[in-house]
Amino acid sequence: MLKSVVRAVGAAVRVSSAASTSTTARALPRVCPTLCPPSSATTRPFTRSLWMLNNNGASSGYRPKLFTSKVLSPSVSCGCGGLHTEGDKAFGDFLSDEIKEERKIQKNKALPKMSGGWELEMNGTEAKLTRSLAGEKITVTFNVNNSIPPNFEEEMEQGQQKPEEEPEIVSTPNFVVEVTKQASKHSLVFDCHFPEDEMSHGDGEEEGDIFAVREVSFQPEGDTDWKETSYTLNTDSLDWALYDHLMDFLADRGVDNTFADELMELSTAVEHQEYIKFLENLQGFVKCN
Amino acid sequence: MGVVLRNLQKVVPLRRARLRKDVDTLRHILGVHKFDLGIICVDNNRIQQINNIYRKKNVPTDVLSFPFYEDLRPGKLPCPLQRDELNLGDIFLGVEFVMKQCQEESLDLHGALTVITAHGICHLLGYRHETEEEWTEVCMEIDA
Repeated sequence: MLKSVVRAVGAAVRVSSAASTSTTARALPRVCPTLCPPSSATTRPFTRSLWMLNNNGASSGYRPKLFTSKVLSPSVSCGCGGLHTEGDKAFGDFLSDEIKEERKIQKNKALPKMSGGWELEMNGTEAKLTRSLAGEKITVTFNVNNSIPPNFEEEMEQGQQKPEEEPEIVSTPNFVVEVTKQASKHSLVFDCHFPEDEMSHGDGEEEGDIFAVREVSFQPEGDTDWKETSYTLNTDSLDWALYDHLMDFLADRGVDNTFADELMELSTAVEHQEYIKFLENLQGFVKCN
Repeated sequence: MGVVLRNLQKVVPLRRARLRKDVDTLRHILGVHKFDLGIICVDNNRIQQINNIYRKKNVPTDVLSFPFYEDLRPGKLPCPLQRDELNLGDIFLGVEFVMKQCQEESLDLHGALTVITAHGICHLLGYRHETEEEWTEVCMEIDA
């Protein structure tokens, strides 16, 4: 990059020797003002133009602010060697306020408990709920990343909605239910989701199931990777009676509408927690490493 | 299409397959198996809300029917020309209300739901029970 800057500066010097310096200054690309020593006779016109652009002259009125430095000199007391700009400072201040506000609206610092004896394990943004029932092990896994659906609200007429009313943020993650029987090499795996009802307007008019099963397949027990060669039953065009049997199967193992509702609450709390943690990490990163 | 079944409530542990099987049986008995039907299971709050909106009765109830064909003569099946019109309508089952009644009278929930669904289908077929005579007509249809 330095070579191209030098070439550009050189071109500017040749042009400026034949024309007035004011027109040349505007044509110059951004360069470091310390590149050319100000005392050199051959570069004086360029240096003057740089000086003008630097807007340091006492007689300067409006000057193009190409060289206005918004970079705060790295603080000696900070000692981190990182870049600290005015933008970073404003960003850090914004994040402080944002974190304060998010903590205020955080419903519970502790995560809500699931009824039905489910044990919760967290691994970053991934949550795993497990339960044993008469020799069967049931595991429900979900990830809070990308779990908040977009809010495509219709445009409200003026006065119809108070400006301070913000839609409630609810996390509706896809989740996977694995049912493993004792001494079985395979688990029956259900890929479930919370269907977005197109007719719903968030005012209690939903007419879809609370949760739905999308795909069902047998997967080797204990494996984390989805085995693509196992037959996967897609419920889109499935016989409805079979679908109802699958839903009843899940309900008998504690995965029913109550569970789905509680999972949404848990996921929303986890997502909020992770969001605040992220903001705090971002604040730390922006302020100082 | 057949029967679209939705369970919007979490108060009553419902078994969908049993309810669907019973509704399918009813449809055959009443001679309406060619027609689509919607069954939506809701709790007291929801059924009360719907009852209030459509019947101005702010109380929960066991069943509310919304017929596709609004002016059917009782017992006379519609003769639609298009496949889209092979639809009887929707039945909202107040399952929480029904469960409470079953608990009080020691009845089987799913059995009771089947009878109540039959009642709902009768409404979709034009039967009313605003008079004693009409009520007798409905009971005869259900008993049959």
